[in-house]
Amino acid sequence: MNTVEPKSKALDEFAGNLKSLPQRFRESAFRTGAPTTDRTRSTFVFGNVFLHLHAVRTHRWSLRWTTTMGLGIMSVSAFLIALVTGVMLMFYYKPYPEAAYQSIKDIHFVVPTGRLIRNLHRWSANIMVIAVILHMARAFYTAAYRRPREYNWLMGIGLLVVTLGLSFTGYLLPWDQLAYWAITIGANIAQSPREITDALGITEYFDPGGFQRLLLLGSDQVGAEALIRFYLLHVMILPLGLAALMAVHFWRIRKDGGMVRPVDADAQLARQGGETYPVFTEAPAKTYQLAAIVRGRTPQTGRGPENTVPSMPHLFYAELGVLMLTLLVCLALSLVSDAPLKELANPSVPENPAKAPWYFLGLQELVSFSAFMGGIGIPMIVLVGLGLIPYLDRETEGTGQWFGGPGGWPLVRLSMVVGLCAPTVIEAFAIRFGWLREWFPAIPQLIVTAINPATILTAIYALYSLWCIRRYGSVRAGALALFTCFLCGFLVLTIIGTYFRGPNWVFYWSPAEWPKH
Amino acid sequence: MKKNKYLLLGCSLASLALLLGAAVEENFLKEWRRIQARGSNEEGAIPVQLRQVVNQQLGVADRCVSCHVAMGPGEQAVQGGEILVPHKAVVHDPAEYGCTVCHAGQGQATEKADAHGDVHFWPEPMLAKEMSYAGCGTCHSALGVPGQEGLQSATLAFERLDCYACHRVDGKGGTVRPDQGGMEGPDLSRTGLTAYDAGWHEKHVRKSAEAQAGAWKTAFRAVSEEDQALLAMYLATRVAAPQLVAAKAVFHSGGCLGCHKVSGVGGDDGPDLSRAGFKDPGQVSFEHVPGKGNMKNWMAEHFRAPASVVVGSQMPPAALSDNEIQQLTYYTLSLRRKELRDQYLPKDRIRAVKFSEREFATDGGTLYGAFCAGCHGQDGRGRRLAGLVSFPSITNPDFLAIAPEALLAQTVEHGRPGRRMPGWLKSDALRPEEVKAVVAHVRGLGGVTAEADSKPARWVAGDRNHGKRLFESTCTGCHGAEGKGGEGPALHNKVLLGAATDTYLVETVSRGRRGTAMAAFLEPSPVRPALTKSDIESVVAYLRSLEGGK
Repeated sequence: MNTVEPKSKALDEFAGNLKSLPQRFRESAFRTGAPTTDRTRSTFVFGNVFLHLHAVRTHRWSLRWTTTMGLGIMSVSAFLIALVTGVMLMFYYKPYPEAAYQSIKDIHFVVPTGRLIRNLHRWSANIMVIAVILHMARAFYTAAYRRPREYNWLMGIGLLVVTLGLSFTGYLLPWDQLAYWAITIGANIAQSPREITDALGITEYFDPGGFQRLLLLGSDQVGAEALIRFYLLHVMILPLGLAALMAVHFWRIRKDGGMVRPVDADAQLARQGGETYPVFTEAPAKTYQLAAIVRGRTPQTGRGPENTVPSMPHLFYAELGVLMLTLLVCLALSLVSDAPLKELANPSVPENPAKAPWYFLGLQELVSFSAFMGGIGIPMIVLVGLGLIPYLDRETEGTGQWFGGPGGWPLVRLSMVVGLCAPTVIEAFAIRFGWLREWFPAIPQLIVTAINPATILTAIYALYSLWCIRRYGSVRAGALALFTCFLCGFLVLTIIGTYFRGPNWVFYWSPAEWPKH
Repeated sequence: MKKNKYLLLGCSLASLALLLGAAVEENFLKEWRRIQARGSNEEGAIPVQLRQVVNQQLGVADRCVSCHVAMGPGEQAVQGGEILVPHKAVVHDPAEYGCTVCHAGQGQATEKADAHGDVHFWPEPMLAKEMSYAGCGTCHSALGVPGQEGLQSATLAFERLDCYACHRVDGKGGTVRPDQGGMEGPDLSRTGLTAYDAGWHEKHVRKSAEAQAGAWKTAFRAVSEEDQALLAMYLATRVAAPQLVAAKAVFHSGGCLGCHKVSGVGGDDGPDLSRAGFKDPGQVSFEHVPGKGNMKNWMAEHFRAPASVVVGSQMPPAALSDNEIQQLTYYTLSLRRKELRDQYLPKDRIRAVKFSEREFATDGGTLYGAFCAGCHGQDGRGRRLAGLVSFPSITNPDFLAIAPEALLAQTVEHGRPGRRMPGWLKSDALRPEEVKAVVAHVRGLGGVTAEADSKPARWVAGDRNHGKRLFESTCTGCHGAEGKGGEGPALHNKVLLGAATDTYLVETVSRGRRGTAMAAFLEPSPVRPALTKSDIESVVAYLRSLEGGK
């Protein structure tokens, strides 16, 4: 009978283990207990593979809504929403002409929640483009690109390009008329160096434009080859590239010292006073600095060391809040507006006007003046210019402040006037009176390529910025002027391309005036 | 930082609410769900679920039956209001063929506007209810359809010979009579598809002779050969779609095939119409089309005033009644032939494609109506239309009196290069025996036979130079220098000179052509002296010299 004893003990132990299973599981997953103290909050962050990209403590300045407006997190959130919905769409999507269109019809009409998922995908993609552009503007206007963040600014430009690429490649996948002709236009923009090589008569020997187009489409027109290419880029290559760049971008934020803030951030926070919140709740297991445990009404009270708060939960509330806000906006838009799906792509019936995706309509507007300048020249100037900003502006004044630097808000305001008026006036002139080609039909193409509304606009912006550098004696002032002009020009051209261009790219006040084809 | 907490809370709750709303909308409020919820059969309420008819051979996945449940496979018993009614009895079971094959529309859609194709970007909107039979054209093409007149006389023959006494056709006739008779004969509504006993007449005669009383005795009498031909024509066109056949007859009377091709047969001046019924409403202008912007109205207006609807159209306006224009629209909408797998190829299409049977009847009247009437007019008197060259009268008695059959036939076969008249003896146009029938019909239209001509084709031996002088002083005013044409037709045309006999040329100049500017030159006129016979022969000799050139 002696042998029974250990057996029953083992059974008890088994029963006990079973009973304590949930608790043991919790303990094994969250090894340091509930994040109720500073210490456990810290370990909560750095002990978690997903969260440890964050610092364990966050400066209060970074959490102010006006510091970042949550635009970076909004971009990531939109990407995550697009990622999740995109993977769901992949279950039903078939990347072959005709089959692609039919599968989108099925997703729209019969797949449970298919329409909502597709709408979410489309809206999150658009919001991502907008958020990324605004995020860049925020980084620029708070001079966040300055040392030591120059490299991360470059990463950001890379992310912008990949984001546009993702959105553009997704445009073709429904294989409807809208998609087909937008991509045809996009591919023709890629071919625009031909304008130069044609003018020089060397296209036969050296044809980078044709090569770019061929590389993009895999064929001489948009067809099955292009579809599979775009699909692979859209679901595999570009998302992986984006993820890699994002990893570097986030890592760099951490390594470059978190969000940019003005040198007097602590003083400013102290002046504002106001909001206090418990840094510690239950008794801290360990204090890091004497000041951290002081209670009272002094400026440092309740603010933790160096005006920081634990990332868990304060930063995560903010991040999750922005994520949910993004989701909310996407959801609301998805419920009121369906992603477009026109008739099946038909290569023999061109859309007129065939328009590129909206974020390329500014470029398409420029392409209508000169294919090379609009398609390659000016985008390159803009990208190179953006990339050079942190290396040319080495000043320190105004870092971390909105519109910081010489000139400040008044300069930005003036630049907005210049930035909005210049393209409007030039467009109005070109629309009313035509351009060189209309006046002198036989003029060599190279002259039109060099002198057209697009290049003149660029020149005006450049000269105005140089004038600002001189006037304020500051490179930052020139950068403020140029960047503001760039944003305004993008806005004006995009609006003209979107709303005021009709068949054959002719100007119309509204689509109601379009000739009924 | 409380506001971040509230941001998180507020946005999460709002997102949750929207998701819930979306779930409710999708699972309870969808139109087809609400319609199905009203439906029931003998076993009670029907399950609410997406329903569809799938036929991979036809490339159909029609979800129309999600709303029109009672038209779905095995659901005829479902009731519940106006939408939940079964399809009327038709030859093609909608449960097998689906809906869009006949009715068009967007079968994949599950919402009314999308499904019926009332969205501006869906290229194949549903056919109007009164033109549903246009859907037959997706697979079928009625063969041997005569022109309007032919069809009418065939229909009248069927009526006149009292065939309705015993036979039922297209829902008419064969009724039960008070003497207990009626419906003695089979229903003939589909004889064009199924064929019928070719020896019917002998059998009828025999049976009628044997019969003592009743319908066989009273309702049947031997039928003349002519009437037999009419009946054959009538029966060949019974394909259970009488309105569509009548519409096709209008098409075969308007000379449409003179410029347009249907299924590879017809002229080249206008666009091929084989798929005209698929014209995308998103690709045409409705600016000058009164009424709703649908293809039905577009086509009707286009027939009335082609050039105002399609800029630059060279099509002559149709001289038709409103009803005929509706019929023409009906037929044009039925031109929507799709590629089909073999098992679904209907017999009529196989007969047309593999055995080259004609869609039109091949009697002279129908051929003339289908190919020639557009330009030369139903009566052959030619047409003058604003903005278009005038089309000559071909029933002019002066012309027919001197034009031998061979000249007419050659003109039809080879046309008149340089003018709008094309040559019709081509693989995609008329066959030799059809040309003969057309010529005979033209002759019949004019009612004038050609005078006998015993001379050879070329007998004139006049003085060419004298003829040239005369031609330059007398003829160039209308026919142009060296006969290159002016107001009058060109005379240096090789085909014309090849086909025209010397007699024809001499007689034309001598007698002129009444009703045209061509005067009779043998007679004097106030403005010029008469020519002598030998003068005229000299002119003809000169004309002959032009033949060698261009």
